[in-house]
Amino acid sequence: MNTVLQNILAFTTLALALAFIVRKFIWKPKKKSTKACGSGDGCGCH
Amino acid sequence: MSKQINVALIGNPNTGKTSVFNALTGLNQKVGNYPGITVEKKQGICKLPRGVKAHIIDLPGTYSLNASSLDENVVIELLLNKNDKDFPDIAVVVTDVENLKRNLLLFTQIKDLEIPTLLVINMADRMRYKGISLDINYLEDKLNTKIALISTRKNEGIDKLKQLISNYKEVSVAPCINTTQIDSVYFGNLKKAFPNQLLYKLWLVITQDVNFGKTDRNKIDPVANFKTKSKGDLKRLQQKETIKRYQFINNALDKGQTIDLSQAKDLRIKLDRVLTHKVWGYVIFAVILLTIFQAIYDWSSVPMDFIDSAFASLSEWTKNQLPNGAFTSLLAEGIIPGLGGIVIFIPQIAFLFLFIAILEESGYMSRVVFLMDRIMRRFGLSGKSVVPLISGTACAIPAIMATRNIESWKERLITILVTPFTTCAARLPVYLIIIALVIPEGRILGLSYQALTLMLLYLIGFGTAIVSAYILNKILKIKSKTFFVIEMPNYKLPLFKNVAITVIEKTKSFVFGAGKIILAISIILWFLASYGPGKQFNDAENIIKTEFASKNLSSENLQQKIASHKLEHSFIGIAGHAIEPTIRPLGYDWKIGIAIVSSFAAREVFVGTLATIYSVGSDQEETIKNRMAGEVNPILGGPLFTFASGISLLLFYAFAMQCMSTLAIVKRETNSWKWPILQLVIMTAFAYIVALIAFQVLK
Repeated sequence: MNTVLQNILAFTTLALALAFIVRKFIWKPKKKSTKACGSGDGCGCH
Repeated sequence: MSKQINVALIGNPNTGKTSVFNALTGLNQKVGNYPGITVEKKQGICKLPRGVKAHIIDLPGTYSLNASSLDENVVIELLLNKNDKDFPDIAVVVTDVENLKRNLLLFTQIKDLEIPTLLVINMADRMRYKGISLDINYLEDKLNTKIALISTRKNEGIDKLKQLISNYKEVSVAPCINTTQIDSVYFGNLKKAFPNQLLYKLWLVITQDVNFGKTDRNKIDPVANFKTKSKGDLKRLQQKETIKRYQFINNALDKGQTIDLSQAKDLRIKLDRVLTHKVWGYVIFAVILLTIFQAIYDWSSVPMDFIDSAFASLSEWTKNQLPNGAFTSLLAEGIIPGLGGIVIFIPQIAFLFLFIAILEESGYMSRVVFLMDRIMRRFGLSGKSVVPLISGTACAIPAIMATRNIESWKERLITILVTPFTTCAARLPVYLIIIALVIPEGRILGLSYQALTLMLLYLIGFGTAIVSAYILNKILKIKSKTFFVIEMPNYKLPLFKNVAITVIEKTKSFVFGAGKIILAISIILWFLASYGPGKQFNDAENIIKTEFASKNLSSENLQQKIASHKLEHSFIGIAGHAIEPTIRPLGYDWKIGIAIVSSFAAREVFVGTLATIYSVGSDQEETIKNRMAGEVNPILGGPLFTFASGISLLLFYAFAMQCMSTLAIVKRETNSWKWPILQLVIMTAFAYIVALIAFQVLK
């Protein structure tokens, strides 16, 4: 394994780790809310 | 392609619903949350006869369909919402043979929703001890359903239950009671206004608003010729409904169930008399706690030592086998030591959850809650606050969520604010490694000093939570009333399968939940410790060689000096030195400072961080503990981890709010940033002052 490949692998891993931490603690993608009973949108409850 | 059906497992708490779920699904299950809320959602797959697969949902325990908490609301929302992807093809209501009458109330309500409903009568093995006999055919006829009499303990009746579920189309959907009988005028008008709707479903939608305030009744109110009643009137109608249901149940049980009290052998009263005694109850609880902490230490030392040396060898092996370079260094000095820092604690965490699961399964935990209620009342907390405080020993996040069943806002807020003081599983790795370093291995009365220290830390956490609650109760000016009701389940021998599943699930969630964060942080730390700006870092080799040219150092010593110099001038070294003046009075060096800062993401990151920092640049195969023990205080000389600095660190972690996720959950539960910010500032300041005093007094 040459030095360039080692560096690519190491820094890709670092980028992935940073992306994970940012997603986990700083920027969380918003989940779509599910339709619940009583929301008046024809959920079938009444 | 095989057919899949949805099966909802429903039942009162303590009916063995989860045991039925485990018996049907085995390890083929997963735990998550309901969307948008944080009530636990357990689901699994069960193979039924004739190639049918059942997707089984273990719904939260509920006493009725009149929801009064978020947990219970999940059940009713699923049963009322036909469009939900989990809407059941069949509902399986689990009951306890000893509490059949009370458990059947929920059964009749679900049946009246005209959902195919099976009745499971669990704990059949206890019938003999309680003098109970059942006429199943008679009950099936009266309740208009199919019944599975099972014992999850003895693994009896499970195949019959599977058979009945697979024949779900044959299960009657006839209701138990005629809803209009509750109040003919009111329900007559309701029927006229909504001729195409199921009456009982409408009734639940209307009354759910009364009970819980979640469902919007505005869609019903404006309909011509119909007006809902006042809340008081609706409550009276609910009471009438309950009476009608019990009349129906009594009618079925009159002949379907006989109880011969002369045959009943009840050990429960005798046990309760001792275990909830105002003196012996506490003594027994203290002895049980001591035994648990002693066992955690004694039993897990062998696997822990093995894991520690295995990771050290793996790191060394990786370094020797792979070609030199950045990625090899990342693996050997970042990822492997970081992972080792979490895997090493699996034995202790598994043992802790094993004991907690046994206490819960046996029914003893409810007695502890009852016992502790006497104490909690004096500190302005509800008896229900005990559940979050005890479950806080696992993790503060679900514990804070568990406060949702505390009706009084003041008590709930106080419980939320003090729960993070309880010693959570994330503190355990920090405590264990520091205790191993600074507390001697001797014993007193057969109990090791280390186990006693660990127990003391748990008591300090619990004691601080209680005292803080007392202070908050005096400070917070919120008026509210509350009451405490708890069901005491029967004593049972814990089921191996249930205990094993709990231990596996909890340990898995600890390892994978925290493990991912630790791994990511280890990688980032490796980068920060392996690279640095400026001449001091990049030219470290020449600087050290010039500095020590006259001293004739061995090659190994020289390499260590270079590694140490590089680390000190790396990014992490610069950051660590910047915060060092703040933490030096506590007895910590810059490396511990970095570990404290990084463990703000999650406390258990502390050990992984130190393992990563200490291993960067080190050529020796060493365990985490030995590396920490070998660290030298840069100012005073001698070991860095002394009794004084160790106790200071233990106390800092006992009190500091080192958990971002907990702060996020407090924000969500209180709907304000005010409380988590106050919590963070007060807890951290308190931790700093206590750690400072401890170090300055003990050094």
